[in-house]
Amino acid sequence: MNETVIALQKEAARLLREKIVDVVIGFAEGSVPLRARPVAIRRPEDANELVLNSLCGNNLATYLAHRPAKERIGIVCRGCESRAVRALVIEKQRVRDQLYVIGVPCRGVFDPEKILSEAGEDLLWIREADQRVIAGTPAGDIPIERRKLLHDACRRCRFPNPVGADRVIGEPLAPCDPNEAQDPVDAFAAQDAETRHAFFKAESARCIRCYACREACPMCYCSQCFVDHTTPRWTETAISAAGTQAWHLIRAFHQTGRCVSCGACERACPMHIRMTYLTDQLNRHVANTYGFVVGEDEQQPPPFATFSLDDANRFEG
Amino acid sequence: MNHLQPSGTPAGSPTKRSFKPRIVLFQCRFNHYSTADLQQIENLTTAHVKCIQVPCAGRISPLFILNAVQGGADGIAVSGCRPGVCHFKQGNLGSRRQLAAFRDLLIHVGMAPERLRFVWMDPADRGRLVAEIDALRAAVQNLGPARHLVTRATLPFAMEFN
Repeated sequence: MNETVIALQKEAARLLREKIVDVVIGFAEGSVPLRARPVAIRRPEDANELVLNSLCGNNLATYLAHRPAKERIGIVCRGCESRAVRALVIEKQRVRDQLYVIGVPCRGVFDPEKILSEAGEDLLWIREADQRVIAGTPAGDIPIERRKLLHDACRRCRFPNPVGADRVIGEPLAPCDPNEAQDPVDAFAAQDAETRHAFFKAESARCIRCYACREACPMCYCSQCFVDHTTPRWTETAISAAGTQAWHLIRAFHQTGRCVSCGACERACPMHIRMTYLTDQLNRHVANTYGFVVGEDEQQPPPFATFSLDDANRFEG
Repeated sequence: MNHLQPSGTPAGSPTKRSFKPRIVLFQCRFNHYSTADLQQIENLTTAHVKCIQVPCAGRISPLFILNAVQGGADGIAVSGCRPGVCHFKQGNLGSRRQLAAFRDLLIHVGMAPERLRFVWMDPADRGRLVAEIDALRAAVQNLGPARHLVTRATLPFAMEFN
């Protein structure tokens, strides 16, 4: 167990003991290898359950919007989670004063699929060293380069350090070069329309409409989603091309200027469907047009919650 | 039905000469108010244009546009008021931001940019809408029928029954 986790447990225990918060949301060991599970800790003596490693794939900010309004919450936040917390506070889903953000700089989380493809299906455990990961298999230990296992969203992460944290545990990390972070979506947009459409069609065709992406997303907090509406029924709810394509397009569209690019949707997807190429494009659109980046500012409303006459000449024709 | 078609002309893709673009127009009703203007729209609808009037451009949800795209519209025009002259003061401003981003997303997944056209016009602009629709029709005629993102059986426009 490393220093960060020990410091984290101590901080969580202190917050609960001094009654600064009612509950601390963090991660605990999962019941199966390669998974960690989100946990809500209510008693100081349970704080030693907390862990934080590269298998913590969920975005903890997901749990904020539906907690009781009066609850004071301590939340373990990496870069993306802290930006989601900011966005949720701006959208009035939470009062900032009732949150205690424990920030932890993040080196990225692993994609379980990548671990299995590197180490083989009969993996027993993994152990993180500095730049390497040791995978234990019946055939012996396999060292793997850490970067190879990172989830795509984490590989291009621009914000590894938490923003607006009440307390930061650990040293800040160097962010990835913004140009490098834009690379995947730039490369996708540079392809011709046929190729882009073929990719989109093939990806959305695998969708089984389980809505795991929606449940994993910190910004999808609507009490009734547009696909669950029946009067009127906005889209086909069956697994048809029209229905799945509409779901993927509109889900992404509703994230415009709100998506924090954590990649939790892709990690949650049982069909391994790519989705961030859509949200990244929309985020790029609002960054280029309105100079808006999620979580950069504490007050700036999301681009669709506001408008200005100065938008005038951008849309002629 | 595919196997019933003579070879060389697959179902649903008419040759360029016989192709009449199906255009859907989302129209703010304060944009055209007088009888003369309504007459102008009447004339449009006889030319394979389906006009859907909405109370304000702010009412146009991206889902409306997606519905038209999926239902096989070859061209889509959105006509709202110029900034500053919206009947409801701000409806057009909010919708402009959203629809521009949505257009960007549709282009990102393979729609041709020419197929979706915004007309932010002054309600006093006589004849502009007709000119814009003509321009859209010409552009779409060039592109041919929409294929990408068309996922539902296309319904005939009322005109085609005549």
